[in-house]
Amino acid sequence: MSVKYVPVQWNVFKFLYDFALLVIIMGFLWVFVHIIPDQLTYDPSITPQIQNMRAFGSCAFFLLTAILVIGPLARIDRRFLPLLYNRRHLGVLTCFVAFSHASFVIRWYFVFSPTDRYVALFGTNTAYNQLLGFPFESFGIFALLCLIILATTSHDFWLKFLTPRIWKSLHYLIYPAYAAVVAHIGLGTLQDQPVSIFGFLVVLCVALVVGLHLMARRCELETTDSSALHRVDAYWHALFPVQEIEEGYARVARIDTGDRIAVFLHNGKLSAISNACAHQNGPLGEGKIIDCFVTCPWHGFQYDVTNGRSPAPFTEKIATYQIRVREGIVEVDERANPPGTPVEPLNVEKEDSV
Amino acid sequence: MVAETLVFLIQVWLGVGALVAGAFLLIGIGQVDEDAHGAFAFRPLLIPGILVIWPLVIWRWWVVSTGRDINRHIKAAPRRSHGIVTILLMIILVGTLLISFAIHQERSINIAPVKLDMS
Amino acid sequence: MTKKELFFIGYLPVPQKLWLLFIMTFLAFFAAFIFSAWAIGLSQNDPGDGRFRFDLGRQTVSGVLETLPYPMIHVTEGSSAIDAGETLMLSGAGKFGVEPHASNLSSTSISATGIILNRGTLRMLQISNPRRNLSVVENQQSISDPLDLGRWRLVGEICDGKCYAGAMRPGRGIAHKACAELCIEGGVPPVFVTTKPVQTHEYLLIGNADGGPISDTLLEKVGIYVSLEGRIEQRGSIAVFLADEGSLEVFP
Repeated sequence: MSVKYVPVQWNVFKFLYDFALLVIIMGFLWVFVHIIPDQLTYDPSITPQIQNMRAFGSCAFFLLTAILVIGPLARIDRRFLPLLYNRRHLGVLTCFVAFSHASFVIRWYFVFSPTDRYVALFGTNTAYNQLLGFPFESFGIFALLCLIILATTSHDFWLKFLTPRIWKSLHYLIYPAYAAVVAHIGLGTLQDQPVSIFGFLVVLCVALVVGLHLMARRCELETTDSSALHRVDAYWHALFPVQEIEEGYARVARIDTGDRIAVFLHNGKLSAISNACAHQNGPLGEGKIIDCFVTCPWHGFQYDVTNGRSPAPFTEKIATYQIRVREGIVEVDERANPPGTPVEPLNVEKEDSV
Repeated sequence: MVAETLVFLIQVWLGVGALVAGAFLLIGIGQVDEDAHGAFAFRPLLIPGILVIWPLVIWRWWVVSTGRDINRHIKAAPRRSHGIVTILLMIILVGTLLISFAIHQERSINIAPVKLDMS
Repeated sequence: MTKKELFFIGYLPVPQKLWLLFIMTFLAFFAAFIFSAWAIGLSQNDPGDGRFRFDLGRQTVSGVLETLPYPMIHVTEGSSAIDAGETLMLSGAGKFGVEPHASNLSSTSISATGIILNRGTLRMLQISNPRRNLSVVENQQSISDPLDLGRWRLVGEICDGKCYAGAMRPGRGIAHKACAELCIEGGVPPVFVTTKPVQTHEYLLIGNADGGPISDTLLEKVGIYVSLEGRIEQRGSIAVFLADEGSLEVFP
């Protein structure tokens, strides 16, 4: 973006999104920490600090599950895309909740002792050679570190400064973080109470994440693959019939180099651009043309379809492609033009008759 | 001893990060990103990030300010690896859960003590 | 295509139909989270009846101090809540033991002031400032020799005696493992909690076969169900399990 950076670019939708998130998180913690102790008749009761650890820990796990569920959900049904739009706020809140969990643990299990609390955290249980009784805290520390990296580098500045490639690679840490959290729970608290409602919910959450990711992958392969897709010669690929493209929208194809190419139909003319938005690599081909500009469905970044450039004052550029139409099939040159290269849109009627 | 060293290294890491944060937010940020000119309110937000990944910050600062950053916009995200990452994650998640249920000890057992000698 | 008409961008007004979906999604997430908190919260296990007995007030007793494998006092002169003849394990405040102060006073008669922690028959005296609250008394007495109860194989869990006795609820298991190890390393007496009582003892103070504190091998298995062999001695009212670390097996 080429406007001055601000801490958060607020709009009404983000306010409502964050408000809804806070209601959900506060609701969970309030029930767990304030309602439940009165319902349990144990005498003496569970230590409040331990109650807090459990409340914040399980809350962070469910939030992390929600984060991982939103992505595939939006790919399966595009109406869920708005949930993705402000996901970084969900990530930052999750980091806070996980951090609170860690701090309750450290300020209860690792204090009041002759050893420094952080030395105790790393040095007390070092039996890494056993599965039962494994220092499961280390998985939690790793996951928290990942969440901290993700939360602290979530501002748009980082995306531009680090480049989308490094930034997105860094943000793949969400996957190892989730795996680490599941290991943290599985080797930790589940060992004390495996056949429990929490154990059941953990299995359910993992099944949901696994299932939705597999479903989304299948959907994506179905929408990007076309029966017409094949390599024509050294550089050119046949993609799909012209008729499959709707005016104002695109059809996406993934050629065998791995690149995803979006071919748009605008005012009866075809233009091909890279499917990846320069902002966060959102799927441009799932966007639509608004006021002559392709609009990304993730965060609304816009590009001129004929040259891959964002309208002034923005400076984002994406790659464009040379295309041609033969016997009603769109063909593309796999050699992408440098980002921002103008390409004359292809008049469908005229080309088709050749 | 290992734990003490680890804690010391973390402190050093954060200390260096604080120095880098100071230098970068006062000097560097204007060199690498023109959008940051005159924008100050968002800078404190970057401090925690710099504390954590300062070596990456120094490297990018150097790359951008020495003009080695020509291919920036071609560097698209690694979307291709997304499928592999997904499959790998699925295997690890399911494996982890299977292991944790397999090693679990039944906690409501009643094994009687055995006297080994009859003295 | 209706789906495409429902195109959303954060900075543009949201289509009417999407609002309904947002509200439904919010309600679904909200219900799932509240239900989870409720269900997980209510399904937490009872941490047991262990607790600090602040209600009984500070207790001052006299007795003979024994420091190995871990400090305990054989009470000769009781108080309002502690009878003469009872034996209590001793711990300091937090995750501290009463060592090193106590090690100089081994086998001497002392006066001890502290708060009782108890869970069933397991009783421990927390002495917050051993330097001030553990002192030698004039009238020196001796203790009777330990009674050998023979060699046994037991199945159970090594816990730190203090958290298990109610300093933390729950104070056992894997989630609490590191805390328990930290307590034991700090000098808090560890106990072996058997799955079935040995004669009448459900809890035994555990030490190494040589009579000293437990080794790192045993410490690694804190919080896990293990099978252990060793000699059991009756010392005062406490049973002491002197375990062979070589016989240690993780219970399947």
